[in-house]
Parts: sequence; C-alpha cells; structure tokens
Amino acid sequence: MLKRKNRSPEDNCEILLTVKNLTVEYRNREGTIRALHDISFTLSGRQNLGIIGESGSGKTTLALSLLGLIGKPHSVTGSVHLGGKNILVLPEEEKKKLRWSRIALVFQNALEILNPVLTIGEQIGETLHCHRGLTGKALEQELLMLFNLVGLEYFWHRAYPHQLSGGMRQRVLLAMAISCRPEVLVIDEPTSSLDALARKEILAMLKDLQQKMGFAMVIISHDLAVMEELAEDLLVLYSGEVMETGTTTPLIERPLHPYTRGLLNSSIEIHPYKDLWGIPGEAAGEWKADCCVFAGRCTQSLHRCLNEKPSLVDTGAGRLVRCHRGGIVCLLQAEGINKSFSLNGCRIEALKDVNLNLYHGETAALVGATGSGKSTLAHILAGLDSPDSGKVIFDGQPVRGGEAHRRERGIQLVMQDPFSSVSHRLTVFEAIAEPLVINKICPPAIQMKRVREALKAVQMPNEENFLKRYCHALSGGQRQRLAIARALVMKPVLLLADEITSMLDVSTQANLMRLLKGLQYSFGFTMLYITHDLDLARKVSERAIVLHEGEIAEEGSIHQISRHTCCQPSGNLFEAGLHIHQ
Amino acid sequence: MKSRLLEYLITFIVIITINFALPRIMPGDPFLQLYSAGGETTVSYTEEQKEYFISYYGLDRPAGIQYFSYLGGLLKGDLGFSYYFKDSVASMIFRRLPWTLLLITAATGLSLVTGVLLGSFAAWRRGQRSEQALYLFMVTISEIPAFLVGLVLLVLLAAGAGLFPLAGAITHFSRFNTTWAQILDILHHAALPVLTLAVARAGGFFLLVRNSLGTVLTRDYMRTARAKGLPEKRIRYRHALRNALLPLVTRTAMQMGAIVGGAVLVENVFAYPGLGRLMYEAVFVRDYPLLQGIFLVLAVAVLAANLLADILYRKLDPRIVSAFKAADSPAVKNRSGN
Repeated sequence: MLKRKNRSPEDNCEILLTVKNLTVEYRNREGTIRALHDISFTLSGRQNLGIIGESGSGKTTLALSLLGLIGKPHSVTGSVHLGGKNILVLPEEEKKKLRWSRIALVFQNALEILNPVLTIGEQIGETLHCHRGLTGKALEQELLMLFNLVGLEYFWHRAYPHQLSGGMRQRVLLAMAISCRPEVLVIDEPTSSLDALARKEILAMLKDLQQKMGFAMVIISHDLAVMEELAEDLLVLYSGEVMETGTTTPLIERPLHPYTRGLLNSSIEIHPYKDLWGIPGEAAGEWKADCCVFAGRCTQSLHRCLNEKPSLVDTGAGRLVRCHRGGIVCLLQAEGINKSFSLNGCRIEALKDVNLNLYHGETAALVGATGSGKSTLAHILAGLDSPDSGKVIFDGQPVRGGEAHRRERGIQLVMQDPFSSVSHRLTVFEAIAEPLVINKICPPAIQMKRVREALKAVQMPNEENFLKRYCHALSGGQRQRLAIARALVMKPVLLLADEITSMLDVSTQANLMRLLKGLQYSFGFTMLYITHDLDLARKVSERAIVLHEGEIAEEGSIHQISRHTCCQPSGNLFEAGLHIHQ
Repeated sequence: MKSRLLEYLITFIVIITINFALPRIMPGDPFLQLYSAGGETTVSYTEEQKEYFISYYGLDRPAGIQYFSYLGGLLKGDLGFSYYFKDSVASMIFRRLPWTLLLITAATGLSLVTGVLLGSFAAWRRGQRSEQALYLFMVTISEIPAFLVGLVLLVLLAAGAGLFPLAGAITHFSRFNTTWAQILDILHHAALPVLTLAVARAGGFFLLVRNSLGTVLTRDYMRTARAKGLPEKRIRYRHALRNALLPLVTRTAMQMGAIVGGAVLVENVFAYPGLGRLMYEAVFVRDYPLLQGIFLVLAVAVLAANLLADILYRKLDPRIVSAFKAADSPAVKNRSGN
C-alpha cells in the first residue's frame, strides 16, 4: 500500500515483508492492553519505511512482532509474511531460523542490551555460528570483515559491553544485526543515545551498508531528522494505530493528521526557530475501541470522533489518513480574491488573484512589506470588506458581510491599534461583552461568566471593580489583551491577528505572544498572524504566506522559506527582515 | 585486588589475635580441674602442680611475649600440644582435616548442582503447578535443621534399611584390593553425612538460582538473544544461567561458615572422624590448645573459601575486574574524573 516513486530499475522490487492487520494485545493479570491495532504495510527491496510516534505508541512492540518475538500469554493476530511464510504462526524452531537470517533487529542502544558477561566477539560470532555454521578461522575472518564494515577496530572483539562507549555499542549492535545478511533490518531508535557526531556517522554508515548489502529497513524513531535522512515512507503511529502514512517529504511538509502536525510542531529539527509546543493532553494512552484514539487531544474533534472509530482512508498519492474529518480541516479558503481601490481616478490594485487556505489549528504568518495588501486581505477574510471578485469560504459557507464574525465559533479580528479598536468610553465589562450583547448570544448572567473567563484567559484581573473600570484607564498592553479577550468571548475558530504587537514594547509583546500561543494551544483555534516582523513570525508560526504587491509570492514552511528560497520578493523580504541569521 | 588481599590479611591477624586472647580472658582456669574421660572422677591439682604447669606452658610471662611466641609458633606450623591427647595439635588436626574437607566440598558441590538444576527448572516454569510444588518442597526441607535430617536418614537408611554404615569414614581393619574399592568405601561412608549437609543447603541455593534466573530472564539481553534466533540451549545456559550464577558464587562463600558449623553437627551425628568430631571431643575434655587449633584452622578455611570466591567472581564477571582496575590505576581515575 505504500508506493515508492523514483525507484531505479536495478533495485530489487520484490516484496520482502507484508504485514497485514497486525494486532497485538498484552495480557497479564491486570487485564488486556491492546498495543497495536490493525497495522498493515508492505516493504520491498531496499525500501526504507520509517515508523514514528511518541513513546508508548507501540513502535517497539511492532519491531518485536515483526520477528515473532511476542509470545504467550500475549495475543498476536494478523500476519507478518516474510519470504512467503507467516512468522506469527510458525513453530518456534522455524521462527528461530527466520530470525536474524532474513530479518534482524538493531535494538535500541542500552547498556543491558548486550550480555554483560560475554565478549563482543562471542556475541556477534554466535549468530555466525548458529545461522551460518561458521567455525574457527572462517568465523574469525567473517568477524573481522564485520568489524571493518561498521568501523570498529578488531581488537575490540575481546572487550565486554561495559567497556564500550555508546557509539561503539551502536556499531556492535549494527554488526550483530547484519552478520547473517538479512533482507530486512529493523532498527529501533538508531541515534537516540548518540551525540551529533556519532549520530551523523551512524546514519551515513546505515546508508552505506544498505548500498553494499541491499537490505530493506524499517526504522523506528521519534526523531524526525533521522526519518528525513533515511526513510522514504513514513507511518505515524499513535496508541497502536496508524494515524497517517505516506511519502516522507510531503508528509513532513504538509501533515494531514492533527497528530502528525502535533509531532512536527514538537520537533526542533522541523521548527528550529519556532517555540516548541507539545501536543496537549496526556501522551499516547491506552487503545480504545469505538472512538478515535486521538480524539481526546484533538482540537477539531467532533461528537462522532468519540463514538466511532475512523478508518484509514486514501486521500490520494498513497497518503492514508485515519480521521473522520479527512485530516486537518481546511477552515478557510480564499479563491481568486481581487480588490482595487480608486484614488483620484487612479486604480490601485491592492490584491491580485489571491488564493489562500487556512487549516484548523495552525498558525500561519501573513508577511509582506507595508502596503503589500496584508490588512486589506485580512479585512476581506473577516468579511469586513468585500472583494471585487473571488470568494472566501469559511467552514463550508461563503463569507458574506459580517456573518462569520457575528456568531460564536466564527472569525474574530484583533487589530493593530488597541486605542482605536477598543472604545475608551466603555467599561471593561461593556467592551468585552459588547459582541455578546449586540449579537444577543446569551443572557446577561452568562455574559458575566464568559467575560470573567475571557479575562482570566488573557491573564487580567476579573474582579468586580476591574470590570467597572473605564478602558481609558488601561495601558496599551492591557487594552490589547482586552481586545483579545473581546475576541475570545465569541469562542472563535479563526483569529485574525493584524499586527497586534507592533504598538507594544518588547516585554509586553513577548508576554502577549506567549499568551496567545498558549490560548491557541489550549483552545485550538487557527491563527492568521499578520505582521512585518519576520523574526517574530518565525518564532510563532509554522507556515508563511508572503504577500508582495497584492500577490502571493510564496507560501510554505516558514523555516524553509527563511533559509533558502528561490522566490525573489520573499528572498529580499527575509534577507532584510531577519535579524537573526543562522 | 591488592586492597582486597590486605583486607584478608587484616581479618586473618584479627582472627589469630582473638583466638589467642579468647581462652585467656575466659573465666575459669584450665588447670582448676581435669576431668577423666567418663567425667566421674574429679582430679584436682595442688598449688605446686598448678604453678609448675603455668610456668611450663609459659602462662606466667607477660601477655605481649606470649602473643609473639604464639605467632612464632604458628609460623613454624606449631599449634601447640594437646594436654589431653598428648599429641601435637597440628598433626591431630592434619589427620582429621581431610575428612571434614571431603564432607564440606562434596556437600557444597552436591547442593550447588541440585540447587542450580532445580532452580533453573523452576525459573523456566515460573507459575506452573510443578514449579509451585517444587518451591514448597524445597522451602520446607531447607527449614529442617541439619542434625534432624541426619538423624532421620541415619535411622531410616542406615539403621533401618541397612544401606549405609552407621558410623565412621572408612571400614576399619580392611584391606582394599584396588584404590577404586577404597574410594567406593569412603564414598559409601560419606554418603549420608554429605546428603544431610546438602539437603540443608540446597534449599537456599534453589531459591537464589530461581530468583536470580527469574530476574535475568527479564533483562534486555535475553530478548536480544531470543531475537538472534539462537538455539534454546545456548539462550538458557550461555546467556541466562551464566549471568544468574554470579550471585551464587558470593552466596556459596558467605555460607561457608554455616556449612562448617553444619559439618560439626553432622560429623557428631554420624560419628564421622572429622574436625567437628575432634572439636566435640576437645570441648568435652576442655583441651584448650586443641580447641584453639581447630578454631584457627576452620576460620582460615572459611577465609580461604571467601578469597577463592572473590577470585572466581572476578573471573566470572568482567565488570568487576575493570571496576577494580579503574580504582587501582591512577591514570584511569584521572580520566574518569574529567
């Protein structure tokens, strides 16, 4: 089901490993825990499949079941076909024959993974003896060759595991795994315990060995950089279920499942400048039937997600996603937006054929020089202004007039200047409750409750006397936070933040941005962050939309764009705008 | 290792000193009374006789000088003179020692083999019926005192069934045609005492092996061994048991004292002519020089067993060697300190 493109013709394309509906349950006195649920994939010659997920997601269980190492009293159903035989149902003696000679496992590096009282030479040599029948001189020759292959001096064969460094131990584990020339190499966290240098060497060595020996690899890791380097395809595991699979590069560039995105957002390799935000909620918990396992941590979950298990659906190009909503929902689509103003008979094209998608839960930065049309676009998206042509679709409905920001769970806009956007003649309560009152959303008693909640969320006092205070008595930072509270009171799913920090001092700006990200993290709204401050944009958002003279010049990962872009306008913009260079 | 040897040396000197001091600070006087063999007639010394003996044995000299002459005697292998048996203590002990050594080594060996075999059986079958029954049985028999086991065996197998001799280490006044026949006779005599001692020890070894192997089986390297598709035998013995036996070495050495104590009792039950029997006889007649000699030899034997275990452990567990190398060599120390 995973297809790899661009495989050169001389590569061995025969399917080596087929896993079908693999389900593993651990049974002990306390009860039954399902560690893997319905996993299927195939692996062909020289293909590298990456398996990624948080700890507890079942990665290691998968590795062990591929070798048929999970036995009674636990239950393993489904099939793991290796060279035409289902290893799960073979008798133990037959399993032993397949292990190491056809499929070998590079264990996660740990001191106790090697037997402490046997020499390295013996531990590598015994597989040569038991599977290949080598003895004496021949065994020694082969051992020498293996040590050379993994870059270890031969005299280490007399050493005991505790005498090796972590990097050397990784080499030993590798030498041990390739000793019987397996067709499939399962590698569990190849680099997790290594320093940067050793890690680079090991990765290069894995590639080199694959060139020489032609095995296929199943790489298990939570390290996305390793995956980018080694794996062509990825399988994202959560609570024992496949959440998403597909080709590595597009999957990392545009994750479809909220969990995958959460993983990416937590990875410093993918977002070197952005603040890291883990996935909210408890880490991968127990597997549950009849619901989406990720629903509890998902910000776009529906009632259905709690009652029905989604199935793995093909979304095209070999990408499969397990989500009732078909992956991360596209919250807002703008198509062919044109807008022009006339000034003394002169037509000024503010926006030219702008197409834009905003996805659930993301933070996109709309960047561009002053006058590039950022605020105009924001106003059109919010429905405050209408485009000359083109349409904006929000949550499946076209945005017309102010409908989208008049309702709950709609769009809210926070503007640049809090002094003009919040009337100084209103009290704090009146200012925040205003949208609720105007739109007749809830009775006054509940209004008070929601205002207090909103104030608490933006970390402002919510006592009686503060609520009665007039807005003109507040500072700039407080008024901007009040403006955010006024937006939050409507429980928006899309927050358009138009230069919200440009009038604030650095400290207030930092506090406000952290606050906003924190709110987004817990409420899960989408944020379009409109700014010309590129350093800040790179800090808070994962995606950049570069606007240049009314047109979208470029769109993509803000990290990629800021590092190297071939687009001239955005190149210039980032060149000039970034104060922090690598 | 050097520091370890020093520790043994110090322990040895302390033992000698205690051995020297103990009879001298004990209440009573060896010359106050002498019992005849049956303990019926009491023989008392006169003042003159007492003084004569005190100066004869050098007990009137200062304690320091006595101590050094005692040490000097030890260095020459002189353990003193038994004043009841009228024989050199060293030669008496030397005649009896082999029998005790035979009992101890055979019993230790037998209990080790039984403990390891049954212990590994239990560890592989943890939780099964057969294992639970075995566990109960082993715990029960290891709680029965050795002399009681000995008595039961004596009554049932020797006196009752007549399968084994009742006493002694060898059939007296008999000539053996071959060495083999002689060995068989010795084994025949030693069988019950050895069995008694082994039964008392095997339970402990069984529990230790069972638990230690149980722990080893959950280790990561056991999963590695299984993943490698190694034959079951190799996984069990080379990978698992090899690790599980490490604590057994220490345990054996630590139990040496107890097994020596057990041997003393068992030798008396079976009237076996070892050091334990000699000790009993010596206590009976308050033969202090002899007792002192026996204590010393037994203490040294236990100490030697411990030293042997230390050396063996070093051979078996490569981690210990390097830990000691690191502690001994300043170069390594510096490096690890950085």
